[in-house]
Amino acid sequence: MIYAIRQITAYSYGSYVPYAAHVLRLVPVAGPSLNVIECDLVIDPKPSEYVVGKDFFGNSLAHVVLKSPHSRLSVESRAVVELLEGPAVTPEGTPPWEDVRAAAHTSARLDPRSPAHQLFPTRHVPISPELLAYGVDLFVPGRPVLEAAIALMTRIRQDFEYDPSATSVSTPTVEALGLRRGVCQDFAHIMIGVLRSLGLPAGYVSGYLRTVPLPGKARLQGADAMHAWVSVWCGEEAGWQDLDPTNAVRAGRDHVPLAFGRDYADVSPIDGVIFHSGSHSLAVSVDVVER
Amino acid sequence: MSKEPARPIEHAGLDALLHGYLPTQGVYDEMIDARGQIRPHWLAFVERLAAEGPNGLSARFEAADRYLKDSGVFYRVYDDPAAGERPWPLSHVPLLISPEDWKVIEAGVIQRAELIEAILADCYGPRELVKRNLIPAAAVAGSPDYLRPLVDAARSGQRHLYFYAIDLGRSPTGQWWVIRDRTQAPSGAGYALENRVAISRAVSDIYRTFDVERLAPFFDRLRAELAVVTEADDAGVCLLSPGPLNETYFEHTYLARYLGIRLVEGMDLMVQGGAVYLRTIRGLRKVRVLLRRIDGDFADPLELNSRSQLGVPGLVQAVREGQVTIANSLGAGFAEGRALLGFLPALAEPLLGQSLKLPNVATWWCGQPAERRVVLDNLADFVIAPAFSRMNGGPNVGPWVMSEASHAAHEQMREAIGRRGIDYVGQEVVKLSTTPVWSNGRLEPHPFIFRVYVGATANGLTVMPGGFALIGDKSDLRAVSMQKGARSADVWVMSKGPVEQVTLMPPEKQVVLRRAADALPSRAADNLFWLARYVERAEATLRLVRALVWRISERREQNRPDMHGIAELLFRWGAAGAIPAHGELVRMAQAAISDQQLDGAVPCLVRAGRRAASVIRDRFPADAWRTLDDLDRYVQRSIKGPIAEGVIYEKADRALRSIAAVTGFQLETMNRLAGWRFLKLGLRIERAIAICRFTRQFAGGDASVGKGSTPEELDLLLELCDVQATYRARYRLGASFAPVLDLVILDDRNPRSLVFQIKSIQEHAEALPLLPPSNRPTPALAVANRLLGTVTALDPGRIRSDDILGIENSLMQLSDEIAQSFFRAREPVAR
Repeated sequence: MIYAIRQITAYSYGSYVPYAAHVLRLVPVAGPSLNVIECDLVIDPKPSEYVVGKDFFGNSLAHVVLKSPHSRLSVESRAVVELLEGPAVTPEGTPPWEDVRAAAHTSARLDPRSPAHQLFPTRHVPISPELLAYGVDLFVPGRPVLEAAIALMTRIRQDFEYDPSATSVSTPTVEALGLRRGVCQDFAHIMIGVLRSLGLPAGYVSGYLRTVPLPGKARLQGADAMHAWVSVWCGEEAGWQDLDPTNAVRAGRDHVPLAFGRDYADVSPIDGVIFHSGSHSLAVSVDVVER
Repeated sequence: MSKEPARPIEHAGLDALLHGYLPTQGVYDEMIDARGQIRPHWLAFVERLAAEGPNGLSARFEAADRYLKDSGVFYRVYDDPAAGERPWPLSHVPLLISPEDWKVIEAGVIQRAELIEAILADCYGPRELVKRNLIPAAAVAGSPDYLRPLVDAARSGQRHLYFYAIDLGRSPTGQWWVIRDRTQAPSGAGYALENRVAISRAVSDIYRTFDVERLAPFFDRLRAELAVVTEADDAGVCLLSPGPLNETYFEHTYLARYLGIRLVEGMDLMVQGGAVYLRTIRGLRKVRVLLRRIDGDFADPLELNSRSQLGVPGLVQAVREGQVTIANSLGAGFAEGRALLGFLPALAEPLLGQSLKLPNVATWWCGQPAERRVVLDNLADFVIAPAFSRMNGGPNVGPWVMSEASHAAHEQMREAIGRRGIDYVGQEVVKLSTTPVWSNGRLEPHPFIFRVYVGATANGLTVMPGGFALIGDKSDLRAVSMQKGARSADVWVMSKGPVEQVTLMPPEKQVVLRRAADALPSRAADNLFWLARYVERAEATLRLVRALVWRISERREQNRPDMHGIAELLFRWGAAGAIPAHGELVRMAQAAISDQQLDGAVPCLVRAGRRAASVIRDRFPADAWRTLDDLDRYVQRSIKGPIAEGVIYEKADRALRSIAAVTGFQLETMNRLAGWRFLKLGLRIERAIAICRFTRQFAGGDASVGKGSTPEELDLLLELCDVQATYRARYRLGASFAPVLDLVILDDRNPRSLVFQIKSIQEHAEALPLLPPSNRPTPALAVANRLLGTVTALDPGRIRSDDILGIENSLMQLSDEIAQSFFRAREPVAR
């Protein structure tokens, strides 16, 4: 499956910004399930400093400094990628969730894909009694970890309403849990929070959904913007399995991953510091077309 | 036949001093051994104390407190007056450490510093310890201070720990134990210095008699080390502080002064081309070393905590480029986690080829099955504590002494550990030793933790021979309950031989000499300028208030143009909400002097001035600071009782005298202030603007100044400009238009005239640094030159209101130009 992706992120500021420093995480990185055929990043106005590198988790990271006054900033990222099919993992075949937890807690790996990084509270995902209570009954003793995680995903899809007006980037995860409303980012954070509160490793994936659904399939929620889903560690053998609680599906041929981290803060597409006191507005457009 | 010691008098004193000093059974006491004998290294000291008698001692200890209070140590650090004054008030009797004990401690903490350095180097580099199963990955990854962007970021061999502190306790057997490691940005060394100064002054004769290891050489070695890495044209070494709102800010200013380095905040710095620069009034200056007193996670909003307002965007990238040394390295705080304590003893052998010289509190990290079982099987014997230095996001909770916890709490804990043992450690309950504390005229044994400091120099690690003891409450000997309500005591490390007498006083002259040649940080210049403007504006407002209430109380009729003019001015300055109806002018005066909400009222102006001064406390004379702080407290206090003109007058008058003192201190100590030109410019510009406004208000008709002004208004103008006496001495007639204007606007011998202000502004503007890169003068100079020309060309008989307005506008422009050229006018906004 080959996709052409185009994302335009455009800021416009109420007054001139004399200086800005940004980091961009907008370029996909090749991995076991992703082949990057071509990619390109166009920044307007042209930055005075531009340094590319990778972050700890292996995501691409571009440092950008704009030193001349500007009243708008647009970043266009384009990529052509090929999604590769991984080995099929059946939920019933994964180890009991308690074994996976024990393996994660005693892991001797500190590489970027170690489950050890995904066990602890992070900026957007706390460990909390509320999160634990929301999912604990699904994790009966001995239940295969992926089966239980899928049950949790399904519950979130059933209980929550997709409602962009209910939450913002800064809405605390526990608050979104109480609202039973939100967007993909909230659902992913909630699901990660439940899993981590149980002691299980779960990470955050940002990426894209195909814009036009396959024939006969419904259009997926979140296809017109960047999307987010959850990666659950299912033991050394099965590794990371991606689940999309917004659509209650396992991430497969429709999900193109862009970045992996502990929560939104690790993969936020554009972070920055601008010297500016006025207001700004933001427009994002995303196109994901099959080739 | 043994010789009796010939000390009958001291003995009597000794008995009185030690009467009732009863160390708890089964606890080690620093002064008294198990048989009740005074330990040898305390004996001479205790005898000297006894010879003083209780009254003598109390008097001396009070002197120490006075010193600390006078030196400003007690000044509150938060703007909230209810907040603490100083984290650890002084306990007067020092803790005495024998030379033998010190040898053990010194060797132990140096070894431990090397061990932690090796662990940091591994976890931020090859991560072999985890691969070899010597530390579980989750015991590293769980720390919120394990900063992933720093993994593989530093050059190999780059040191992580430059300044490290260890909290020690002594067990009942006399063995020293490590309770906590402080690797993030250890505080307290500055307080240790102050404590030493205070105590050595209060008991200087006693102190001199004993061979106590001096602290100064330790700081000298650090200073020398810092000097090595500084190059000529650089900004040099900077101490990066979170700013005046931080509870240990006083210590930051103190250490910066003592070490002769600059105190900066994130806003002072910027990263360009991978290097760190200080913004100064002379342009950018490269920073090679940052002594970090902000938490690592807050150091870079781009790659670390994006919510941080304290950091420097791009700092991690600068570390990666090898352009800056950060001490301690970003991410070093990870070694503070208690989880690590469980693994340190086993790591000494593989990393150092030695066994651990100083044990730490026995600790079991509950992420591993075997350790978890040990803890859960004997839960009541343990203290359960968070495994990492702080709980991510959550409140700081624990430790929990399980022997005191309820059955339900036990069950809850079991469940939590069963689910997420990775978050917890079980620790042995540690009993501390006790040391004497002076309390109610006698000595009492109190438990303590001894904080020891290690510094890195080119010649290896060096230990500060002393430190401070955190003294706990008498009744509770457990290490876990040491945090709240602790006091601090000086620690005297007794020397075997005579020690060299070295002064501990900061080499003030040396520091000042370097400062004078410094390029002033832009933000300091900005704050000096605005400090002066706020204080001057407060003064003008107070003069208006004083003039107003005096007129209210003198006259029956309240609807006179001069009084109405004052009301208008106060309203336009934002010192009053609205121009009140007749008869309510006194309310307006009260609002202007005491309203906490109005931007232009005196409390807000003084508060703004104090805030500006607090940011530059390291370069602000202590006396001026204290006077300003007093003034602030005075004007924030609300007026009690019914509103009365007399009370308001009295308050305004007293506040004006305080302001005169603040300004006086600034003038006196002007030469000590780098950037005093900005202070003077702020003062002169603000005063000139006030003169313009007063003149337009009280001597400005529709077209030309003076037309239609009442004698009362002209008289008020003289009063507000503080030249009534001069006028009366010069002209033996009532206030009349041309002579008043001449004196207020054009008389260059009158230091309160407009022309005097503008001449002074022009001189200072001329002396301001040229602007990089082309060395052109600031545009402010051109404005000042033009202003001077305009003002000197005025004819006192024909000054028009518009002329004055034009001058006022030029003064505003001048202020903007100065800001544009030298200050960073814009604050960073994270998004």
